[in-house]
Amino acid sequence: MKANLDMLRNIGISAHIDSGKTTLTERILFYTQRIHAIHEVRGKDGVGAKMDSMELEKERGITIQSAATYCKWKGHAINIIDTPGHVDFTIEVERALRVLDGAVLILCSVGGVQSQSITVNRQMTRYKVPRIVFINKCDRTGANPYRVAKQVRDKLDLNAVLLQIPIGLEGDLKGVVDLVTMKALYFEGANGETIREADIPAELQEEAEAKREELLDAASMFSEELMEAILEGTPTEEMIRKAIRAGTLSLELVPVFMGSAYKNKGVQPMLDSVINYLPTPKDIKNTALDLKNDEQEISLTPDPDAPLTSLAFKLEDGRYGQLTYIRIYQGTLKKGDTIINSRDGKKVKVGRLVRMHSDEMEEIEEAAAGDIVALFGIDCASGDTFTSPDISVSMSSMHVPEPVISLAILPIDNKAQVNMSKALNRFTKEDPTFRTYVDHETNETIISGMGELHLEVYIERMKREYQAEVQVGQPQVAYRETITQRAEFNYTHKKQTGGSGQFGRVGGYMEPIDEVEYEFVDQIVGGAIPREFISSCDKGFQKTLGKGALAGAPITGVRVAINDGASHAVDSSDVAFQLAAIGAFKEGYQKAKPVILEPIMKVAVEGPSEFQGGVMGSLNQRRGIIVGTVEEANYTSVEAEVPLSEMFGYSTVLRSLTQGKAEFTMEFASYKQVPKSVSEEIIKKFQEEKQKS
Amino acid sequence: MQKEDLIKKNPLRVLSPLSTESLPDHRMGLIMARAGLGKTAILVQIAMDSMLRGHKVLHVSIGEGLEKAKAWYEDIYKYIVESFQLDNAPEVEDELMRSRMIMTFKESAFSRLKLEERLNDLVYQNIFRPDIVVVDGFDFAEADYVSVMDLKEMMAAMNVQGWFSALRHRNDNRKSITGVPAPCHEMDGLFDTIILLQPEKDSILLNIIKDEYDSAAGKILNLDPSTMMVKEA
Repeated sequence: MKANLDMLRNIGISAHIDSGKTTLTERILFYTQRIHAIHEVRGKDGVGAKMDSMELEKERGITIQSAATYCKWKGHAINIIDTPGHVDFTIEVERALRVLDGAVLILCSVGGVQSQSITVNRQMTRYKVPRIVFINKCDRTGANPYRVAKQVRDKLDLNAVLLQIPIGLEGDLKGVVDLVTMKALYFEGANGETIREADIPAELQEEAEAKREELLDAASMFSEELMEAILEGTPTEEMIRKAIRAGTLSLELVPVFMGSAYKNKGVQPMLDSVINYLPTPKDIKNTALDLKNDEQEISLTPDPDAPLTSLAFKLEDGRYGQLTYIRIYQGTLKKGDTIINSRDGKKVKVGRLVRMHSDEMEEIEEAAAGDIVALFGIDCASGDTFTSPDISVSMSSMHVPEPVISLAILPIDNKAQVNMSKALNRFTKEDPTFRTYVDHETNETIISGMGELHLEVYIERMKREYQAEVQVGQPQVAYRETITQRAEFNYTHKKQTGGSGQFGRVGGYMEPIDEVEYEFVDQIVGGAIPREFISSCDKGFQKTLGKGALAGAPITGVRVAINDGASHAVDSSDVAFQLAAIGAFKEGYQKAKPVILEPIMKVAVEGPSEFQGGVMGSLNQRRGIIVGTVEEANYTSVEAEVPLSEMFGYSTVLRSLTQGKAEFTMEFASYKQVPKSVSEEIIKKFQEEKQKS
Repeated sequence: MQKEDLIKKNPLRVLSPLSTESLPDHRMGLIMARAGLGKTAILVQIAMDSMLRGHKVLHVSIGEGLEKAKAWYEDIYKYIVESFQLDNAPEVEDELMRSRMIMTFKESAFSRLKLEERLNDLVYQNIFRPDIVVVDGFDFAEADYVSVMDLKEMMAAMNVQGWFSALRHRNDNRKSITGVPAPCHEMDGLFDTIILLQPEKDSILLNIIKDEYDSAAGKILNLDPSTMMVKEA
């Protein structure tokens, strides 16, 4: 079965908490006949406890929240991809956004555009995801879809264009007017499954015409054909839809729909528009990195006959066992195929291949480019690329940044201990920037990652998903050390205390390098150090790299060259030369003006312009360099480079500074030398701790 | 090459010779050209030259994003490092980073009042005290004499030098007596230095048509269209 790409959509549904994502997803699955009855998230009386979707899933035995759910609408296949709810920019969010081709942004008709929607929208813009907006909860008191549409223009900076207007609002919500067909749509039957098309109510005729005019105006920007037809007074529905589609795909137009999922109004037209306006896999340009050619970007073609390129974007421990969700970008994946994991080059045989529905799964024989399916029993990490054996490409860079922050965690009891290891094992597979190890000096479990929030998310997930409650230590910044000038060394290791002695002399120099963390150069001529002990020197140097003399931090950016030495026929050994090298390194290191480096984060704070001054002040106080500001309407974002060590607890500070109206994101930028005063403090603290132990 | 040599050799010395150690107070400069000739490149080079000399620059970009403005500085700095083999490039870059701040505004969000408010925020909190403000993308066609005068007065009050870019329109041939084209033909009196970019066969001329400070008026520089770098004519 080769999928026709025109008949396929991979979409995400993204929403602010409480704007009705679960209800809407459920309605979609109902109308697409994946589930056969509707149960409410809130009880009928409206006062019952709100069930979260996980509990709902448990009770109903469905998987609304699975990583990808497959359904069919009017002959088209739709994969609904779960977009993670947390807003900070982790690799997981990034992956989910990569996998989908288009998105439905749900907004509440009362709450409108809130900060979380702004963040999600910005991420979508960053990943160039075409989107449509569905204004939900039009039945609620205070509903005003016009105001929300205006907010989409102002706050999200999207060219929002109404494709519908409501018939009645709040308790009187009856249906919507479709501005393309100029018909009123009413949703009838027990669950709104029957759509009755009728003439536009007389009292809305004038408004509908005005809004249609606006729609035609906006759409005609994307089609000359439509523009001419409008002038001649003969635009057809097809022309309008084509133009809206072109605008949506180019990210320059965002169609707005409305309704109330809870009252079963407006969901089916929204599904129609997913088909009509959101991209097919063919419409999206995807790229991979050529591993044979220095990670140069190459474009992928959604051709089922091309070599396979696919991305494992999510691992899931379901009731069916371990599932690996995979998006195929190019080629075809068949049961029984041998594919290669480009991270480690391991061959993997494709066992069971399935498509996940909400309430069941379907075994399939093959899947082609554009599709999203799940594999059973594949041992991999999420983010891994699987390809045909004949090519060597990766969907994401192989360069995983080193973690910049770490903290100690302690399980509160035995049960938590067991669950914690399960959780950690899973998280490290999901996210290569998340690491964990046991510190042998303190016997503590240390987790490390790309920022405070990054680790907080995992601690929260440990508690929620794995029932592993842990005590959390103070976050520690991952400092590094490096040298700033060339220095010579010449060290002799000699030990003669009965028995066989130890002797080795190592001479050479060390100098700073930018490109790599450590480089060993052998310039020995004439056998001053015998061949067999050269690698011992290298080993010795490497042993000293783990803990620098200033702050006990790893040493990076050092080239060590040996060009002289001496040996003894009896007393020289592997160990003797390793020890000589360690001594030589220490000698040279002191002379090479070592410095401490600290992680610098790229911080972006966004919020109402009135707080800009305060925000800049707060960043400045934290040794931040303000790179720039972006001011639009009443919203400003400030970009700065700030040392990570100064950013602890910043979310609280920012909240009180801006009445909770601003938010910030943070990602690792680079390592930079710490200023002298700070450096002295770090060294002092390290020395004190050293003495204590 | 050392940083000092780089400063000395910069063709922009015509505009601000080293003999005048400090920057002239509240000079107003204007660079005029048709679209795509390199106004931003020249503004960034003026800014970069000031930064290298230890002054602080606020780069105001109207209508363009932050990333774009940053990219201009990065590209030009990269070119300087590579073609002049600048010593201590990372340290110098670090220093430059600290001497520069970029503010971008959407067209509709920019006003003198806003800029003044932002500048005050920076200065009063001791976050950043610019010596020179370059303004790229200001819409002179929509501005009148009074509003530009207003900007000039504000900059004078804050004791900063201002450099502006202005877009000339192809089919607007109005000119002032001194030869300053529209849309600035009625405000030429507000600027101390005015540079006109004129495309030639294989380069772009920087025609300094007015300069009240260092009498560079009448001198001509060149812009290499392949590197967007200013060079001597």
